[in-house]
This record gives sequence, structure tokens and C-alpha cells, in this order.
Amino acid sequence: MESRSLNARPVTPGYNKIIDAIRKALKNYTVRVFVQAILTIWAVATLTFLLVREMPGNPIDVLIEQILTQEGISYQEAYDRVAASFNFDPNASVLDLYLDWLTDLLRFDLGTSITSPGTEVIDEIARFLPWTVFAVGMGLLISFVLGIILGMTMAYYRNSFLDHSLSLLSSFMTGVPNYIWGLLIIIVLGIQLNLFNVGELRGTYDISLVPGLNAAFVLSVFKHAALPIATYVIATLGGWMLNMKSSTMGVLNEDYVNVAEARGLKDNRIITSYVGRNAALPLFTQLTIAVGFVLGSGVVIEEIFVYWGIGHYLFQAITVRDYTSMQGVFLILTMAVVFSNLFADLTYGLLDPRVRVSGER
Amino acid sequence: MSQILPPDVVLKVDDLSIVYRTDRGDVKATVDVSFELKSGEAMALIGESGSGKTTISLALIRKLPKNAVVTSGEIFYQRNDSVQDVLKLSNRQLREFRWNECAMVFQGAQNAFNPVLKIRKQFEDTAQSHGWTDKAAIRERALSLLQLVRLDPERVYEAYPHELSGGMKQRILLALSVLLSPQVVILDEPTTALDILTQRAIIDVLNDMQRQLNFSIIFISHDLSLAAEMADHVATVYAGQIVELGGVNDIFYHSLHPYTQGLLTSVPTLEHTQDLLQSIPGSPPNLIAPPDGCKFHPRCAFADDACKKDSPPLTVDVGAHLAACWHKDRLIESRKASV
Repeated sequence: MESRSLNARPVTPGYNKIIDAIRKALKNYTVRVFVQAILTIWAVATLTFLLVREMPGNPIDVLIEQILTQEGISYQEAYDRVAASFNFDPNASVLDLYLDWLTDLLRFDLGTSITSPGTEVIDEIARFLPWTVFAVGMGLLISFVLGIILGMTMAYYRNSFLDHSLSLLSSFMTGVPNYIWGLLIIIVLGIQLNLFNVGELRGTYDISLVPGLNAAFVLSVFKHAALPIATYVIATLGGWMLNMKSSTMGVLNEDYVNVAEARGLKDNRIITSYVGRNAALPLFTQLTIAVGFVLGSGVVIEEIFVYWGIGHYLFQAITVRDYTSMQGVFLILTMAVVFSNLFADLTYGLLDPRVRVSGER
Repeated sequence: MSQILPPDVVLKVDDLSIVYRTDRGDVKATVDVSFELKSGEAMALIGESGSGKTTISLALIRKLPKNAVVTSGEIFYQRNDSVQDVLKLSNRQLREFRWNECAMVFQGAQNAFNPVLKIRKQFEDTAQSHGWTDKAAIRERALSLLQLVRLDPERVYEAYPHELSGGMKQRILLALSVLLSPQVVILDEPTTALDILTQRAIIDVLNDMQRQLNFSIIFISHDLSLAAEMADHVATVYAGQIVELGGVNDIFYHSLHPYTQGLLTSVPTLEHTQDLLQSIPGSPPNLIAPPDGCKFHPRCAFADDACKKDSPPLTVDVGAHLAACWHKDRLIESRKASV
């Protein structure tokens, strides 16, 4: 019986070996989460590929309409002219395009822009992305550090006037959406109080300066990024403060803090290594989630401040229905979110020994 | 210092009273408590839950909750002929006093260690906060203490708390408590929440340690057998007062207070059969509005009008055996009659 059923499904030994190797590899935690990350990125990329093409209008229609209204020529003439200058065939099958795009993707080739042929999407992303990473990174870093310090202060002085006023303030800061903060900054600080010239702060640096490691350029970079950064800080700070406060209050009730005090440890040591470190643990996971959230909402903020980051680029691409550019940006944003989560997953064990995966010490 | 203590006394508590301020009124958790602890001696505080044992011990290292107020009393601590009033220490002095002079092993060591730091780091933190700088010296001392509590020193020293069992953590905490050679170690329910075998191991370890390091112990327990085994002196605490204080034999064989007597008859012994076990009727008094007179009178079989009116003083009858009861003679008679 048994031997017959075994013979019924002959399996080549080579095939078996591969399956075994895959099984073994998947048992490794790092490999497993990495494979999951890649699959997530592929799924999101596929979805965006289809969705951007389902948006009303296509790159050619958008431009034809512009030319028609401006020059008053016939539709066919306009179509021919636009189609000639575009790297786009509206009649190509979506499946073919998808497969082409996917194979290119495997070679890290994001294709060329539809509306300006010859421009590599990846080059454009490389040009715009660093500015966004800089602004969002600075914003999150500042608000995270400030939030942890202020949140702990609130917990240590709980029920004091300071605690109550900071709680109110942080609820307000979180409650108002970030684009409203952006507009408020421009209207109140820039226009009504005239603290800065909004027009001068367009772009990412003063174009009359030579990029490089010189004081004038660095200063200009910070000046141009200051408002987006301030917006990110204001919009996310309240959340960190409230989370850190409740987390710290929980830790303050822990036995080990009480014992640490009975052990006569120095206050600084207790605040940093016993209270602060344990209270901040859950916030690190939230930080990686915030990276994705802030990157996504950064599109609007960059548009408000005319900050030339990836969000600004994406906005331009959407306006002219530049599919390849949109796909590229969405892909990069997705990767940023997925990989920051992956990074958190793999590094959390360094912060909290309790979740260290067995086998790696 | 004005206070002069006999050279062998390390700790002297005088008329200590503590209340907890609450919304419903003041909880009188400790009332006029006085006792002395001699060098190398072990003293047990026994009593029901909520009787104020832990409050007394927390006051010794000034680790009372924020709503507690010491309304009267003094706590003197002596080392090398110099006496300090613990209640008058500045914050800085207090920090140095804690653990260096008086260490406390809290109830339930399960969460006594910072989960994200290795045991090694927590030993180092403790020593470094008290002026030690040489990590090798800390390590040497720590390993010898871990050896003393019968653990595998090298392995445990480099472990994280979550990698250790409850009994191991309890023993590590014991080792940590004597790291700085304090004269007094307070143990709050050192064996509760541990299984019988681990309890046994902890008691043996404690005896070993005390023999080798010669510190004084104050321990809190409702486990009378543990008290009988470990203590030189026993204080019975009821409603925040010490109602009886004496040598371990005096308390267990010649108790002079009905409450102590009640505690003793509520645990099984080898000599008596099970049906002689009795619990103490009633429940501990409300410490916001305790009864007048002797606080034990509502639950006491010997109570009469005198007990309802006046609180009996803690007085000496024989030797150093103190008890606060108006009817010690009747208690002794009744015990004779029952045997």
C-alpha cells in the first residue's frame, strides 16, 4: 500500500531538495520577514500600476486639451503632435505594459518619464527624494526627542499645572491636521506677521548658491526646509507627548523603579535607564509607522510650501498623468514604509531583550 | 548627635507614628511603634495583612508612598559609633544611606529587575551609584555573593531578568541586597509566591548568608513557621501597633497577648491535631476610625469594660518580653487549663 502510494507520485530528488532548502530558509526569522516585505511591495506596486491607469484621463488627453484650447488646431493634429513627443501608446495592452514594467523593475529600472521622454524616473527620484528624507527625517527626529522629554516631564509632574497645560496643548496639536498647520504658518507667521518672505522660501535652497559643504549653502538648505520641518514637528509632537506620558506613568508604577530608588541609584540613572528606556520602547514601533504616515502626507505639505521634494514631484506627475513617474514614486514610498517597518522588526530586539528571537543573542 | 545608643544596637525606632492621608480620612497605619535591633540579630514582624508591617519597614528606608506622613517619632541608625536620625537625612544623604546601610528585599521579586538590563548592569548600577568605580571588583564581589545564594554565578551574571525563574530572581535580589555590606536587610515576605522547595532553599540561603556576613535582619511575614525558624525576636503587629515583643521562644511558647495566641492557634503544628485549629473571629479594624481602648477588644475572648475604655500599655512582665494586654494572667490561666 504504502510503497504504491509513494510510487504514485514520483518526485524528482532535485525538486525535493529545493523545497527543503526553501523551507529551511523560511524558518529563519530574518529571511521570513524579508520575503514578506518583498511580497508586500510587489502587491502594492501592482495595485498602484493598475490604479494610476484607472484614473480619468491619460497623459495625451491632458496635453491635447491644453493645446486645443491654446492653439485652436484640429484634434487629430494635436493628437499626432503630442503622441510624437510622448513615450506613450494609449492603445497598448495593460498586461503587456505590466509585464514589461515588472521585468524592468527586477533590474531596478523604473523606466523613463512619459511626458518628458528620455528622463529616467529613477534619476528624478534620486534628485527629489533626499530633500524629503531630510525634511521628514529632521521633523520626526525633533518631534520624537522633544515628545519623549516633554512626555516624561508631564508624567513626573502629573496633575500639576504644567501637566494640564501641556496635555491640552498636545491634544490640540494632534487634533489639527498637518496641512492646516502648514497653512496657518504661512498665513499667520508669513503674511500677517510678516516674519519671513514666503516667496523667497520656494524650492529647497537658494539657486544662486553652489551646492556643497559651505556655510551659506547649508544655512540656505535649513532655511528652506525650516517650515515643512516645523509643520511635521507640530503635527506629530502632541502624539509623542501623550503616548510618552501614559507610558512613563505606567513604568513609574513598576516594581523595578521602586527597587531602583531603594537601591539608592542616582536620579539621572533611574530617569534614563530605568524609566526612560522602558517607557520609550513602545514608541519606537510607533515611530516607524509614523515614517510612512508623514511621508505620505508630506505630498500636501511640500505643495503648500513649494518645497521641491518627492511629494512635489509626485504632484507634478499626477497633474500630467505621467504614469511611470507616479508608479516610481509610489513604489519608493511603499518601499520606505515597508523597509522602515522591517528595520524596526529586526532591530527591536536590540532595544528590548525580551523580544529577541531565539537563536540570535 | 545627642542620641547615644548602646554599641551593639544598629537601629532604634522611637514612638514612630505614620498616617496615610486619604479622601476618606487619615489611615493610622503605624501608632507609637518602638523597638531596637541589635547587630547580627533577626527580628520578625508578624501580623495579618493590612496590620501595618510593611509601613513600618518602608519608613526605615523612607520609601513610604507619597500620601504618608510621619506624625511623630525618630529612627536612629548607628554605624561605627556615629548615629544618624534617618528621618532627618537630606535627599543626598538618604540616597547614600539606602542600600549602603539598609537594603530592602521587596515582596515579590518577579519585577524587581529592570527588564532591559542584564543582571551584571544592575549590580554595577548599584555599586557605582555608591561610589565604586572598579568594575572588576564589583564583578568579583557579585560573583561570590551569587555563589553564596547557590546560583551559577557566571551564567546568571550575564543573563537578562526574563531568562531567570522566580526563585532565581529572589535569590539574586538577596545577593544584590548585601552587595554593599549593609548592616540591616529588610525582607518583606521573602518567600511568598514561591513553591515549598524554593522557600526552603531561600531560608537556607538566608541563614548561610547571615552567618557569613553578619548583618541584621528585619523580616515581615505572615508565615509563622518561617518566623519561628529565622527570628531571634518577634514583634506582633496589630492595627499599626506592636502589641507583643519578645524573644522567639517567649512569643511562641509563652505568648502574653490574645492576638498572638490567636495567630498561633490558627496554624497547624506537629503536636496538635487538626480540630484544635481556630481562626481569629472578626476582621482587622478600620484604621481610619479604630475602636477605642484596646484595638483588639472587638475580636478578643478576654475583653471586658476596661479593654473598651483604655488602651493597655506595652509593658514588661518577665525579662524583655513586652505585651500590651490588661489580662495577661487570664490568658496564661486559660492556656494552662487547655493543655
